[in-house]
Amino acid sequence: MFRLIGETNINFIGARKMAFFVSLALVGLGVFALVMITTGQGNLGIDFAGGNMIYGYFEQPVPIQDVRNSLTADFPDAEITELSDFEEANAFIIKVKQPETEQEGRDRAIQLRQAIAGAFAENPFTVESEHVIGPSVGETLRKDAMYAVLLSLFGIIVYISLRFDFRSGVAATIATFHDVLAVLGITFIIGIEFDLLLITALLTLAGYSLTDTVVVYDRIRENLKKYRSKGEFVAAINNSINEVLSRTVNTSLTTLLVVGTLFFLGGEVLRTFALALIMGVLVGTYSSVFVASPIVVEWEARFPQRFKT
Amino acid sequence: MSGKNWRFILTGILIVLAAISLWDTFKLWTMDEATRTDLETNDPATVTAMQQKAIRLGLDLQGGIHVVLAVDTAGFPDESSRDDAVDRVMQIIRNRVDGLGVAEPQIRRMGANRIQVDMPGYTDAQRAEELIGQTALLVFKLLETNDNAALLIKRLDSAIAEIEKAKLSEEELAELEADAEDAASDAPDPSIAAELLGDTVTDTAGLFDYDENELAAEIESPLSSRLRPALVSSRTNTYWPAFSVDKKERERIEHWLNDPRVSKVFPIDVQWAWSTRSEVRESKEVYTIYFLKRKEQFLGKFLESINMSRSQTGQKVVNFALSGQPSARFSQLTGANIDKPLAIVLDDRVESAPIISSKIRGNGQITMGGSATMEDARNMEIVLKAGALPAKVEIIEKNVVGASLGADSIKKGFYSSLIGLALVLTFIGVYYRLSGIIADIGLLFNIFFLLSILAFLDATLTMPGIAGIILTIGMSVDSNILIFERIREELRTGKTVRASIEAGYDRAFVAIFDSHVTTMITAGALFLLGSGPIKGFAVTLFWGILISLYTAFVVTKQVFDLRASSQRLSI
Repeated sequence: MFRLIGETNINFIGARKMAFFVSLALVGLGVFALVMITTGQGNLGIDFAGGNMIYGYFEQPVPIQDVRNSLTADFPDAEITELSDFEEANAFIIKVKQPETEQEGRDRAIQLRQAIAGAFAENPFTVESEHVIGPSVGETLRKDAMYAVLLSLFGIIVYISLRFDFRSGVAATIATFHDVLAVLGITFIIGIEFDLLLITALLTLAGYSLTDTVVVYDRIRENLKKYRSKGEFVAAINNSINEVLSRTVNTSLTTLLVVGTLFFLGGEVLRTFALALIMGVLVGTYSSVFVASPIVVEWEARFPQRFKT
Repeated sequence: MSGKNWRFILTGILIVLAAISLWDTFKLWTMDEATRTDLETNDPATVTAMQQKAIRLGLDLQGGIHVVLAVDTAGFPDESSRDDAVDRVMQIIRNRVDGLGVAEPQIRRMGANRIQVDMPGYTDAQRAEELIGQTALLVFKLLETNDNAALLIKRLDSAIAEIEKAKLSEEELAELEADAEDAASDAPDPSIAAELLGDTVTDTAGLFDYDENELAAEIESPLSSRLRPALVSSRTNTYWPAFSVDKKERERIEHWLNDPRVSKVFPIDVQWAWSTRSEVRESKEVYTIYFLKRKEQFLGKFLESINMSRSQTGQKVVNFALSGQPSARFSQLTGANIDKPLAIVLDDRVESAPIISSKIRGNGQITMGGSATMEDARNMEIVLKAGALPAKVEIIEKNVVGASLGADSIKKGFYSSLIGLALVLTFIGVYYRLSGIIADIGLLFNIFFLLSILAFLDATLTMPGIAGIILTIGMSVDSNILIFERIREELRTGKTVRASIEAGYDRAFVAIFDSHVTTMITAGALFLLGSGPIKGFAVTLFWGILISLYTAFVVTKQVFDLRASSQRLSI
């Protein structure tokens, strides 16, 4: 039998105070990001903000600064990214956000091309892909995304409360929110755009983190029956975490393997998506051990239920 | 064992069904370039049928155009008329997109007043935008007389011939001249155009009779040699200038006619127009080109209460009514042009050119031809209604993905999935040995089933969809890890192989089930509210998870049951 992790007896619950501060910082960061995004100060992607995106390549190499300079006059807020792994060399993505009207969005599409064509007369720029999103579509997408998040979170909470007891439902939900907020906070700080793909990643990691929590709770539920006579609540929980640790690590590892390949080889479109998931796997693993279970422990310590789970 | 046989039988049936469902996808994706182009030219119907049955690739993977339109319905009094207007706009756009020759356009309504148009594989954004964005205009026009048209065509012939000859090098020209000298004794010099112009052509039969020397005709009459008369009024036995053109020649002719050196030959009051749709004549797919009088005789917006029905003789007819001033104008127009065709022109394309059989006053009727289907009649009804459409449309979202970007995404999605899969399979195989290899086979089944369901559901595979497949791999690996770790634990407590397997599967089931359900809730929410690519992610995730449950608890379990009687378990 080949084992990465043998039988362990780590006192996870004992480390909960330290974990508490780490989590508090992560959640704080997430709440800050959420406030910034909802008040419109976040880095919204063009699908939410509305805007133009051009994906194209030059015939000859061009320093990114030159591309930026060619656009500063008309589009001071243009975001320019150089693509390293596209089939054609000298490829760039140019984004301009938040048009005031539908018409402005369409006009910009033409102006952008003209500005580049004018600045690089000798070096033609081929547009491979173009995306124009009007402000009304951005609004619809924002609304739909919000409903999707609320709907899925609500569904998950209801399901967990039905399957486990109320306390576990609340604790699992807190752990899930913790993970989503933590990853949102980190992506905000490192400047990842908040777009539909990121929302998708956040919802996916919510599901993933819940899976982790459910697995631990499932074991706790089973072990509490055994430990009931001994009355060692904390030990029951600590043992449960230790028992499923091998699974937790293995699953995180395999998931990291696949998400990691997406990150390195999946191309520009999926890179931030994969990055958010990588963080999600790490944070989700951490939270199922250090957040979800300690909440139940603290709750029990203050309002003993004599684990009737 | 008999109680457990159902699993073998069920899995067997599912494998067969999955294989059938995936067959066309497999054929299409493994077909080499040459075979495919060959099939596309010789038997396009088969390719289309295969594409319909195969997994559909999203715009982000095969390139194409995605457009969202907002219909301005502010001017409509109530809900139902707004609704009706959006439906009609949708129909018009469907007609226009069909005319573009996009393989599988998808036109869907989004909410109250938005229409989404997806044109996979089509990347001429400018043309698509022009076509979709313009407001529909339905007009009635008369056809040019055949004699005038014949004269015009002869002029067009020489103008085109000159351009074509100018393209050829001197040697090629000499060669062609030698070949053509029997029939065309006149040397191709600039004077030929003048000579032809001087001719008054009345014998139209001769114009299209080019059997004597096809090659000469091709050189000297590049246009007329490609036209076949297509419209004759049966009562008077008169030909009208509407000609069938082989679908393959359509673009070439369009290119010629749009050349300024050719289009200047057209008199100011004459125009040409294609038919909206192609039809099959003499087992060839043909379009019809019409030579019309430019003047708009009547506007479609005056037509009222348009509906289709059947006449007493069982023919399909489309009825319409007219009132007031327009009614008088229409009656004058039809009265003066009995036995002549009246072209119904929508957005500069001729929908149909029915022959006027009598003077139409208050109520008119268009009788569809004998071969017309219900669909054709319905289409005519929609077209006539389109003329009455006052709603404006505005493009509010546009996404153009180049074909090479799509190919690039496919390659990356494909390779990253493959490598991710290989890494996971290796890890599981090494870590859990024989059991791991069984789980690996289960994983492969998982992907096989998932792809076949996508093909069966006619779902669209997008780049996020590929990410969904990869995540599914992660999820089903998790199920196996949970089960195996549990079996290991049970084995460590000294249980027998059989008992450990049973306990492992039993205990792990609850956790796996719960985690799968919660992920399915997320996938469901994303599917309900997500758009385009996100939907693709949700679909693959949802089905992937469902299948992952099945493979873990039925497919790999039945293999484990076979191993239950052994003394030691390789895990």
